Amino acid sequence: MQVGQALLDQQVIDRNCEQMGKVDGVVLELGKGKPPRVFTLVIGGGTAARRVHPGFARWLVRWRRQWGPKDDHPLEIPWSKVLKIGVDIKVDLEAEHTPALAWEHWVRRHIIGRIPGA
Amino acid sequence: MSKLLEIALGLVTGIGGFLEAGSLATSAQAGASFGLQLVWAIALGVICIAFLVEMAGRLAAVSKHTLPDAMRERFGIRFFTIPLVAVVLVSFLVLASEIGGVALALQLATGIRFQWWAPVVAIAVWLLLWAHNFGLVEKGASLLGLVTLVFVVGALKLHTPLSQVAADLVPTLPKEEPAKYWFTAVSIIGASVSPYLFYFYSAGAIEDEWDESYLGVNRMVAGLGMGFGGAVAIAVLAAAAMVFHTRGIQVDQYEQIPLMLAQPLGWWGFILFVASLGIACFGAALEIALQIAYLVAQGFGWKWGENIKPGQAARFSLTYTVAALLAGLLIFTGIDPLKLTIFSMALTALSLQVTVVPLLIIMNDREYLGDNVNHWVANAAVLFVSVLACIVALVAIPLQLLGS
Amino acid sequence: MPEHLRFEDLIGRVVRNSHGRAVGQIEDATMEPDGEDYLVTHFLVGPLGRMARLRAFLGELPTLRGLGIGKERDLRPLPWHWFDLTDPERPVLTSEAPVH
Repeated sequence: MQVGQALLDQQVIDRNCEQMGKVDGVVLELGKGKPPRVFTLVIGGGTAARRVHPGFARWLVRWRRQWGPKDDHPLEIPWSKVLKIGVDIKVDLEAEHTPALAWEHWVRRHIIGRIPGA
Repeated sequence: MSKLLEIALGLVTGIGGFLEAGSLATSAQAGASFGLQLVWAIALGVICIAFLVEMAGRLAAVSKHTLPDAMRERFGIRFFTIPLVAVVLVSFLVLASEIGGVALALQLATGIRFQWWAPVVAIAVWLLLWAHNFGLVEKGASLLGLVTLVFVVGALKLHTPLSQVAADLVPTLPKEEPAKYWFTAVSIIGASVSPYLFYFYSAGAIEDEWDESYLGVNRMVAGLGMGFGGAVAIAVLAAAAMVFHTRGIQVDQYEQIPLMLAQPLGWWGFILFVASLGIACFGAALEIALQIAYLVAQGFGWKWGENIKPGQAARFSLTYTVAALLAGLLIFTGIDPLKLTIFSMALTALSLQVTVVPLLIIMNDREYLGDNVNHWVANAAVLFVSVLACIVALVAIPLQLLGS
Repeated sequence: MPEHLRFEDLIGRVVRNSHGRAVGQIEDATMEPDGEDYLVTHFLVGPLGRMARLRAFLGELPTLRGLGIGKERDLRPLPWHWFDLTDPERPVLTSEAPVH
């Protein structure tokens, strides 16, 4: 299995099969004399933007800090929480309780939720 | 639902859903300017889109991924931003064209200028999407879209020489106005091979929960649906050719266009023309707004779905809301919808490489499709048409812009 | 030596050998399960330069391959212990790696 192919940019779903986002980053743990270990999967918080263009990412982070949810930071999912790697990556978390859906909640509360019928 | 019913429904969707602002405008213009000569461009576009739609359906059924999903995963966020931005921009312009088309239909019906209808149409589009019923959007728009079959009736009533139509399936060189000829040809291909068609189709296959057993259905729907849809577009071209080109009539005003059906079918022709324009464009507007939302939401891994309440997929709903309202705003500025339509079709053709090559790469990847990867014929057909369209567009667009 | 690094920061970085010569760019890494963990066994190093990478990208299309353009991705798996990732932006091969 390849780290980039199997993990990076893959869809993440929570234990209820709700969509959480894409894997924007993977953290490796290095140890002396030991092979690097897959440590955490990172979702959101501007992580993907950094891969596109660092300058754009910096601008985006500033913009996000001004507008948007207060708990808008990257979600780091420890490897131990990963349940299954297949069509999607299933993790043993509840999406609603993680910052992965910070923006979803913010949009729901401030924009979409205000319109009748939502 | 039985597979046979699915095929029938898919066929109806193909026929009723094929015609929209782009194919109407480009086919009508081609017929008015060049008679039956450009029938081959429609045929070429239809062959290409049939292959692409079949691919999008196969990808969804086998890999359970929609196209944007697969594109983000396969290419990574960096490469993904290129087709993402390209398709969103082009689709947005096409969405505005569709809203413009509905607004024009309302102008023809009421005399009130299209600009004033633009916000009304945009809100109507939004409202129907807000009602979160995918079946309604997919099937309702297409069933109503069957009204466009009136063009076939009209073309036949005008005694269109079918043998000539068949003969013009073979590409020919222009006798006059080469820049306009090639520009129109390229716009026709852009109208037929609109990315929104196969992006929407792949999302639809997932919403309808297709699996590997649907591969046959998929092939039938793609081939026959697009084929018959193309026939309707040819009918539009033929009607315009018989009414305008044979009499040397130059079309400069919107009010003249319904003549192509009013001539053979009288008052009913006019009514059905307006209805066809309005319904076809409205249906397309629904699909494109949705498709933009699908593309963005699936690319970023957000919650998405047209069958769930908007509040359950807030960012997804926000995307189609913003898309529809901004597109309405663009038409409200008074920009000529016909010119915008033809221009965005040419732009679509120009950007085909960016929108189509990622799909082709994925369709040949065994990790996604297993044994159901592309046959070399499919690869060759799509590559050929998209490269051709791109090259011709690169030449024709500047020439046309310089000329006009 | 950093304890943690971002894998995506490694992608595209030029790898140099102990003599400072550029040998390729990191494209990906293979990992193998070890109990509950996944360990990186090799880093996949691809050819240098934009043109080479573009050709590799386009070469994935079988039709183009049939026409003779492009080829299979030319990635060399190099074992993890050949890499010194003290500076993630400048990965170097240790003296363990054979010089070629």
